[in-house]
Amino acid sequence: MPDFSLTPEQESLRDLARKFARSEMAPHAAECDRTPRFPEEIYRKAFDLGLMNLNVPAEYGGSGLGSFDQCLIVEELAYACGGMTTSIIANCLALEPILLGGTAEQKQRFLGPFCAEYHLASFALTEPSGGSDAGTMRTLARRDGDHYVLSGEKCFITNAPHAALYTVFATVDPALRHKGVTAFVVPRTAKGVTPGKDEDKMGHRASSTSTIRFEDVRVPATDRLGAEGEGFSLAMRTLDQTRTPIGALATGIAQAALDHAAAYSLKRQTFGKPISEHQAIQIKLANMVQAVHAARLLTWHAAWTIDKGQKGTLESSIAKCYASDAALHVADEAIQTFGGYGYMKEYPVEKLLRDAKLTQIYEGANEIQRTVIARELLRGYA
Amino acid sequence: MEIVVCVKPVPDAETRLRTSADGTSLDIEAVKFVLAGYDESAVEQALLLKEANPGSKVHVVSAGPAPRTEEVLRASLALGCDQATWVEIAPGVAPDPLTAARALARAVSSAPHDLVLCGKQAGDDEAGVVGAALAESLGLPDFSAVLDLRWDPGSSRLRFQRATESGVEKWEAPLPCVVSLQQAWNDPRTAKLPAILKSRKLPIAKVPLEPLASSAGTTRPTKFELPPPRTGAKMIEFKTPEEAAQKLVRILKEEAKVFP
Repeated sequence: MPDFSLTPEQESLRDLARKFARSEMAPHAAECDRTPRFPEEIYRKAFDLGLMNLNVPAEYGGSGLGSFDQCLIVEELAYACGGMTTSIIANCLALEPILLGGTAEQKQRFLGPFCAEYHLASFALTEPSGGSDAGTMRTLARRDGDHYVLSGEKCFITNAPHAALYTVFATVDPALRHKGVTAFVVPRTAKGVTPGKDEDKMGHRASSTSTIRFEDVRVPATDRLGAEGEGFSLAMRTLDQTRTPIGALATGIAQAALDHAAAYSLKRQTFGKPISEHQAIQIKLANMVQAVHAARLLTWHAAWTIDKGQKGTLESSIAKCYASDAALHVADEAIQTFGGYGYMKEYPVEKLLRDAKLTQIYEGANEIQRTVIARELLRGYA
Repeated sequence: MEIVVCVKPVPDAETRLRTSADGTSLDIEAVKFVLAGYDESAVEQALLLKEANPGSKVHVVSAGPAPRTEEVLRASLALGCDQATWVEIAPGVAPDPLTAARALARAVSSAPHDLVLCGKQAGDDEAGVVGAALAESLGLPDFSAVLDLRWDPGSSRLRFQRATESGVEKWEAPLPCVVSLQQAWNDPRTAKLPAILKSRKLPIAKVPLEPLASSAGTTRPTKFELPPPRTGAKMIEFKTPEEAAQKLVRILKEEAKVFP
């Protein structure tokens, strides 16, 4: 049976993240959203405090946390700013393929120096012609002696213009579809690597997103992760690990929306009383808090499953899918509670809706999550 | 330099306090305890001195009940203190400042101590007694409301400032002594995640609270009351500053009756 009462150690980790989120991130969230601005000084502080490479074992210079502890931290960060949180945790996603598929020598070589100082990394899977449909990958990895030559383009890559290291998925033969996908570690300084310009996004505007072009980039075969053709499985196993913290990120946004709405309902008066005394608003708040609790508990349950050593594909897909839908709904209802003020950029809730939207799309769109959930479900009946 | 810092767990400033049913204590059921703000500054001061004077050690001491006392000691270890001692007091017993000072004095006196640092007062009862009482128990001189404490190895003296109501005093003093520090002037550091994880595994020396014949019931709170809820502010509408002043004076005289 899961027991979700936090240990004193977990309380301390959550306190650290909460303090950082409220004192360092929150004061800059509106400005970084509006400008938009990539607040690298905040990301540097997050690294200094050990809040960045959460999933990397301590022996390689990371924080070495399990899924549950990562989720506690990510929810607190996202409460202050979803976009900054996406950039802070992007390293976890980018480095996970090295943790899962790298040899001991590769882990030592790539992770040790990388984690010793502030560096960003990007996970480069999605292409202009397909994200969740990774079998149609067009970026080519042509073998040339003891090197591979990479050519193609990736898109929607978090932190790409600022990252030092990319984990890149490319195919050795498009005809093999997903069986041709192979993973590589590529430094940004490699000749022929060109990140594109920052995309102008609806939300997560404190984060940075761009294309990366690979033009005849020579990558030593020793920087390949796993065998040829193992890349697709490696990407899927990576996402099994990182999907649950996205549930936590969405929960943080939802909790912030609920807190804003509840506090506002006690202050705002209509028809001679605070709107919190109108049943229409009470029902709204009651539904919002149910969604937030359910999102958090599903996320914690998925993390607990993964920390037990199970794959948790079903649980993490449910958590990510439900929590992101909940975040959008709760942010929407928070705007409705604020009325006209909620629609104004001067108030904080419309940003939450824009930030929540992405959690339904990235790290596997919710349509794919539902496909996975149905497949896992039906397996039990076949 | 052997530096000892005395710390106390106090309710987090964001906690909503309630009194117990009989009103003689605080209901600590849902209270989150943290390192007192003054003590955070004291720990920071100790760590700054340690960093400036290689070979120094910082020993953190606290007297209080489980689990909150252990938690503030671990928080201090995570910040960089080298060792911790816990004078364990039974839950439900709220030691008065003199009892706490004597309990701390026993733990401090049994270990090396060149410099003993405290917060000027605790963040909960704000009594401001422990530093002076601890110095008395240890037979050491005591300085309170201290800022900007530095060690001058040339003259083997501490140099520091004292914030008083009439201005800032400059002082110097030899070791050993007890120094109680002002709050938040030195921007206390935040413990890093790996240090927090490591601090969970560090040993904490436990010292039992011995019965203190003379201290039982030295002082005892008779009643706790929450401050009355704030009433809404009254806005004065005006067109000129003169009109605002006249209206304000009339309200102060006739409604608030602060002068005849």
